[in-house]
Amino acid sequence: MLFVKNYDVVTPGEMLADEGVGGSGTYTEDKKIFSKYFGTVILNKDWINVTQLNGAYIPKEGDEIIGKIAAVEGTYWAVDIDTSHYCRLDAREANTGYRIEDLSELMDVGDVVYAKIIRVGKDLSSSLGLRGGRYGKLPASMLVRFNPMKISRIIGKEGTMINLLRERSKCDILLGKNGVAWVNGDKMGMEAVLAAINVIDENSYMGDISGKVREILDRYTSQKNNAE
Amino acid sequence: MYEERLDKRQFDELRPIELETGVVPNANGSARFKIGGTEAIAAVYGPAEVKPKHLEKSDQGIIICKYDMMPFSVPDRAKPGIDRRDMEISLVISNALSRAIMLEEFPSSMISVYVYITQADAGTRCASLTAASMACADAGLPMRDLIAAVAVGKIGDSIVADLSKAEEDYEGGATDIPIAFLPSKDEIVLLQLDGEVSKDELKKAIELGRKEANKIYELEKAALKRRFTYESKD
Repeated sequence: MLFVKNYDVVTPGEMLADEGVGGSGTYTEDKKIFSKYFGTVILNKDWINVTQLNGAYIPKEGDEIIGKIAAVEGTYWAVDIDTSHYCRLDAREANTGYRIEDLSELMDVGDVVYAKIIRVGKDLSSSLGLRGGRYGKLPASMLVRFNPMKISRIIGKEGTMINLLRERSKCDILLGKNGVAWVNGDKMGMEAVLAAINVIDENSYMGDISGKVREILDRYTSQKNNAE
Repeated sequence: MYEERLDKRQFDELRPIELETGVVPNANGSARFKIGGTEAIAAVYGPAEVKPKHLEKSDQGIIICKYDMMPFSVPDRAKPGIDRRDMEISLVISNALSRAIMLEEFPSSMISVYVYITQADAGTRCASLTAASMACADAGLPMRDLIAAVAVGKIGDSIVADLSKAEEDYEGGATDIPIAFLPSKDEIVLLQLDGEVSKDELKKAIELGRKEANKIYELEKAALKRRFTYESKD
């Protein structure tokens, strides 16, 4: 029997069902399914899933992240991606075609890099990769931190929210799954994006977020028109 | 004989409770738990890199807890810093939490829990444990269950729940028994005893503790959900 409805908020240890298959965010004891996180229930045909409301980012293979170079070593860069361990970005991922004597010529401490997690070790240490085309060093610009569990809210249904932000603010926005957004554009546009991301982060459980985001963007547009 | 309680409560009545999460903005998770004149604020940081390095375990994470009473929390000023009692309580809190949190999901990482007592009127270790478990849930850590802790005790010949400081110092002799439960698993994660009880009385005390812990558990769940009530609207 199922004890919860779709989108119910559950606390850890709450019994979700006494039969069936538990999905992600659940654990099974004595054939009963319990929630593992403080989060919302998402039911689909076969499974009961619980998605977290809060939480730190745990690296997963295939995730695209934005990190900062923390140290340059002989054959690799150590990258800080806001997790418990530094990531390792190997020099051969840089694909220069020639041998580099000093890695800091390519990327130095403090540079921002967009990369993919290619391997996660048993102890949560991970390796990054740059192969696949669009990865690499990002030009210095504004970085915005947000709750990594809220990334789907910032993207919106089929990308509606992120497209709205990109179109109205005329900014380039790149989202990293580890809770970092890279924003590039004119100063006022970046401020609007920052305000919008903060609003989504804080009010993600409220009903109408896109209305609030539109409000911020409208204010930005009118300010911009006045300035011109 | 202890016929009527000093503050006119029923024998199984708890002091008024306040619960709140998200009180420390910089922490990954935080909670405040107030029961009568006892107030605990807990903040959770991590998972982070283990420091000092020799504590690291390659197959599971570790919990480091710091319990401290603020200087102004008791009538006689408490000396700031960790004393012998603080160390003991820090240890029992981290032991109880390691039963609730699924540490195997954070190999070679560390979770830091800081608990500060801003007001003390008996039962601080139970208040700390309840606040700490709420803060861990707020931080999004995978947990088997929340922890609900309550101090029961024997005053005179009566088994009572949630003793105050005045009751602990009762002339006829008082026994203090802090108990912590994982309520939905019906598992005991902390049981301490300071004083004298018979076997039957201890059984009765645990039974009373279970009942009171379930009351606190319901309040904990309600307090966690209160901040996100809009989410359940489709």
